[in-house]
Amino acid sequence: MAYVAARGGEEAIQNSEGLYRILNGDLTRQNIRAIERHMPYLVDRVMGEGSLYAPELAALALAQTGGDLYEAVLLLRAYRSTQPRLFYALPISSETTMVVRRISAAFKDIPGGQILGPTLDYSHRVLRLEALETDSIQAPKLETKNAAPSSYPKLTDWQREVGLLAGELEPAVQTSREVAALPDITREPPIYPAPRAQRLQALARADTGGILTLGYSNMRGYGGIHPTVNEVRLAYAEVQLEHPITGAVFSAGRVRVSSAEVVTPFSSGKTPPELSLGFAACLGWNETKLIAAAMLDVAMSLQDPHPAHQEEFVLSHTEPVEASGFCIHYKLPHYVTFSSDLDRVRKAQAGGSLELELEAVGV
Amino acid sequence: MTQAEILSVLNNSNAEAIKTFTDSLLESAEFQGLIVLENRTGLAMLPAVDSAQGTTFHLGEVLLSVARVQLGKSEGFNACLGRDLEQALAVAILDAALTEGIHTEQILEFVNTQKVSLDSSDQLLLAQVESTRVQMETF
Repeated sequence: MAYVAARGGEEAIQNSEGLYRILNGDLTRQNIRAIERHMPYLVDRVMGEGSLYAPELAALALAQTGGDLYEAVLLLRAYRSTQPRLFYALPISSETTMVVRRISAAFKDIPGGQILGPTLDYSHRVLRLEALETDSIQAPKLETKNAAPSSYPKLTDWQREVGLLAGELEPAVQTSREVAALPDITREPPIYPAPRAQRLQALARADTGGILTLGYSNMRGYGGIHPTVNEVRLAYAEVQLEHPITGAVFSAGRVRVSSAEVVTPFSSGKTPPELSLGFAACLGWNETKLIAAAMLDVAMSLQDPHPAHQEEFVLSHTEPVEASGFCIHYKLPHYVTFSSDLDRVRKAQAGGSLELELEAVGV
Repeated sequence: MTQAEILSVLNNSNAEAIKTFTDSLLESAEFQGLIVLENRTGLAMLPAVDSAQGTTFHLGEVLLSVARVQLGKSEGFNACLGRDLEQALAVAILDAALTEGIHTEQILEFVNTQKVSLDSSDQLLLAQVESTRVQMETF
């Protein structure tokens, strides 16, 4: 291995960062607040992939990187690594979660009903050019009567009751001590096949684009399943901690979380046939990623999945910081290794055989 | 109202209002011996439960501000979302004061006011959510 020393680089590096700042504008508290307030889905995506719920810091990361998502996620992960883990919260429970959107594409009548919530799913996808000509377009005022319930029964509970879903659920984890004992990919890298807890954690922090790509390849026909969305939820969840002095369980505040389930028949190969369920959840509201992730959850569990839907392939290649980091490392000087490639090409051009040259170095 | 309810209300309330209120209490003599034992940021791992198989897994971490104080013979504690150390400290002081029995009535009145405001904004949001309820029909 050979290394390259760069001379005169310090000033150039400082100026390159300066130019970056000049072209992207000043970093101001006002801009950061505006990103946090007006781009919550972007902030959610950075927090979800950064695996750290901190809206203010995610907005700062976006402002500081000019909106470069991979750089923003890296900044948030880097900040996270400077902070000690002080607590294990209790598992998010449906009783203390405020649901604002809950839909099913599988059943039209579900216990508790369907709530569209905040979404543009059913809106015209046209640019509102008039916003460029006026000071602002105000959000509408909604006519309201009754309040919706805060929480809803799980659709899967009903499906289990009527015999559509089989299989025992794992015992519930109830204390922070039990939570601390869960598999954690930030402490131990997964060994495949990964424990389900590690699979779901990896999907929660996975790259949205990567998950969508692999999920879409499954949807287009490279997978063996055709699932239906069982339930999608967007909610605010209380972060419940145990008071270290009295043991009382209290809320440290609310975070935005989302989850998706997909359901598919006949994939289990069991007789009589039963429904298979895929699941994914993440910090922040990110439905598209979760639907694709839940489909991959089913696909990864099949006996002989497409190579692109194998667990190791999916989880390794959708880790955003590792993938983007490996990609951008190619921008760093590779003069010595490439020079050796060139030597072989030149030798081959001078009358040798390129195949023999490559064979000699084991390529 | 229980300790859990009080902390939960305060941690979901306006931080500036809490800091202003606690500041106003600190002027009284009972808080002279207040000792700050801990005031820092840190993380809490947040788990969720998979509805397919019931697996509990780590969803991601949450940034918290944490404070622990001593007031007389009592300790107070709080952890709240974000990096506002003063917010965590302000609530931890109220937690200690309630345990110590100082300004109890005044603090509970403040917490109640915050709870009314929180309930009101939750009800408004849930009413807006209800307005998006749909009845699906197939043709």
